[in-house]
Amino acid sequence: MNGIITAKGIVKTFGKTIAVNRINFRSSKGINIVLGPNGAGKSTFLRCIDGLYKVDSGSVQVFDEDPYRNDLLKSKLSLLTDNYALYDFLSVRNNLRFFGRLYGLSSDESVRRAEAILKRLDALQYFDKKVYELSRGTKQKVAFCRAIINSPDILLLDEPTAFLDAHSAEQVRRILFEYEKEGKTIVFVTQKLDEVTRFNGKISIISLGRIVKETTTEGLYNTVLKNTLVNIRLAKPVPVNIIDKIAGFREANGKDATLIKFRVKNYKDINMVIKALLAHGCSIVGVDYIEHLIEDLAGGSYGSWESA
Amino acid sequence: MDLGKALSIGIKDLREVFSSFEIYGPMLGVPMFFAFLLPYLTFYVTQHSGGSVLARLISVPASVAGIPQAQGFIFMSFFAVSVLGPIFLTMPILTASVIAADSFAGEKERKTSEALLATPITRSELLLGKIIASFLPTVVLTLAVFAIYGCITNYLAYQMFQQYILPTPPWLMMLLVAPFLAIGTIGVVVFVSSHVKGIKEAQQISTLLVLPILVMPFIAILGIAQLSVEFLLWLTAFLAVADIVVVYLGVKSFRKEYML
Repeated sequence: MNGIITAKGIVKTFGKTIAVNRINFRSSKGINIVLGPNGAGKSTFLRCIDGLYKVDSGSVQVFDEDPYRNDLLKSKLSLLTDNYALYDFLSVRNNLRFFGRLYGLSSDESVRRAEAILKRLDALQYFDKKVYELSRGTKQKVAFCRAIINSPDILLLDEPTAFLDAHSAEQVRRILFEYEKEGKTIVFVTQKLDEVTRFNGKISIISLGRIVKETTTEGLYNTVLKNTLVNIRLAKPVPVNIIDKIAGFREANGKDATLIKFRVKNYKDINMVIKALLAHGCSIVGVDYIEHLIEDLAGGSYGSWESA
Repeated sequence: MDLGKALSIGIKDLREVFSSFEIYGPMLGVPMFFAFLLPYLTFYVTQHSGGSVLARLISVPASVAGIPQAQGFIFMSFFAVSVLGPIFLTMPILTASVIAADSFAGEKERKTSEALLATPITRSELLLGKIIASFLPTVVLTLAVFAIYGCITNYLAYQMFQQYILPTPPWLMMLLVAPFLAIGTIGVVVFVSSHVKGIKEAQQISTLLVLPILVMPFIAILGIAQLSVEFLLWLTAFLAVADIVVVYLGVKSFRKEYML
């Protein structure tokens, strides 16, 4: 199933704006992540793959066919857009039954599948509510349910966890991991570094309509955690004068600290810091890094990525 | 073509229209208002100045000269069919333009079209579904309005003259014209929706179609032409040809991505 999506030099413009600029892309089995800042062309790229947009030049092939010209190819594809695209005045049940029908499912089958998915996402209680009555997060759950109701071979997702609470976001990720195990292809578009690092997939960095780098989770950490600050959370307060001699120490949240900041040269330094803290009897409950703005990382001359 | 998918799209659109009072309220309200109000207006005019106005509008048969009751009946028949009939013919245009604009341009405006177009539906299934959703309620509503108007007019006529006025052959012919007006309007909306950004623009352009219809009462009043069966047959034939052209152009120019 490798390379079931192939984009060769695709260009898509809107007036004078070049949204996608000569992108080459070949999907891998499992999760493919496209990371980039706002306006980088991620969503347009997804829509080109789905065949919603006709590309100005270049070609997109999905299962060796042009998705723009072959409507029936979409029975194997599914797209979750960033605006939910649900019918506000219809109930969740009628929305999902309608889309199920368009994917060739019977009414009963659509409802059965929808109920099972919504139950996993803890949203079954909203099944007979009108969409306009729902919160943003619940709408996103319903839209995700719609995207997988037909068990597609290829899942195209635009920020699928953007407005979900931690539990629901984790449920969505679990479903995606299940899809990955089944050998399906997922293209996941996001601007969140944190989200990217939760998957061990192929990562394509997109900026100004171009894929500027293809990397891995380690490659990403090499860039993101270069000469940056990390927060170490401790379960019990520790006197600062015990730990302030550790290399890279920057500051703590009090004389008896539970949150300490260290500057590290690269991700490998974090192990050294943790080892030193453990040696001083600290109980570590978490390590997180101060995320770079994706705009900074992918901006300008793409220097950050080139050096990764 | 999968007719089931087209029907699903049609039913979904109808559910949407009739679950929002903002859409179906004005669509039902205005025709119903006219269906009830206009017969009483006819009755009032007939009662107070029917005879005197009649002589200026049409040639009165010598057999009824000097018989106010008979003149009133002729006036009410003329007014109900030739003057108000065309006003009711604007209903299929207005109704179809409201529903079709919401169906086509509305998907674009609310950005629901992305999910719809991401499903395995063909252009034909999409268009047929949306045309069904616009056409059926338009025809049903027009029939209902004509029926209500006819019943009230007959009731008032019977009270006044102990005779019924409707249906007359021209009045029935107008019912035949209504579906053709609806199809033409939908064709225009399909064409226009490909080139506009939202519902209002699509509606404003398509409702311009009422203008030629509103000329018809004046044609009758000025004596240029009578809304006879023959005239309405010619009109129907003209509309049938125009519908083919308009729907063909609309369908040919329609691209799914225009809805995005």
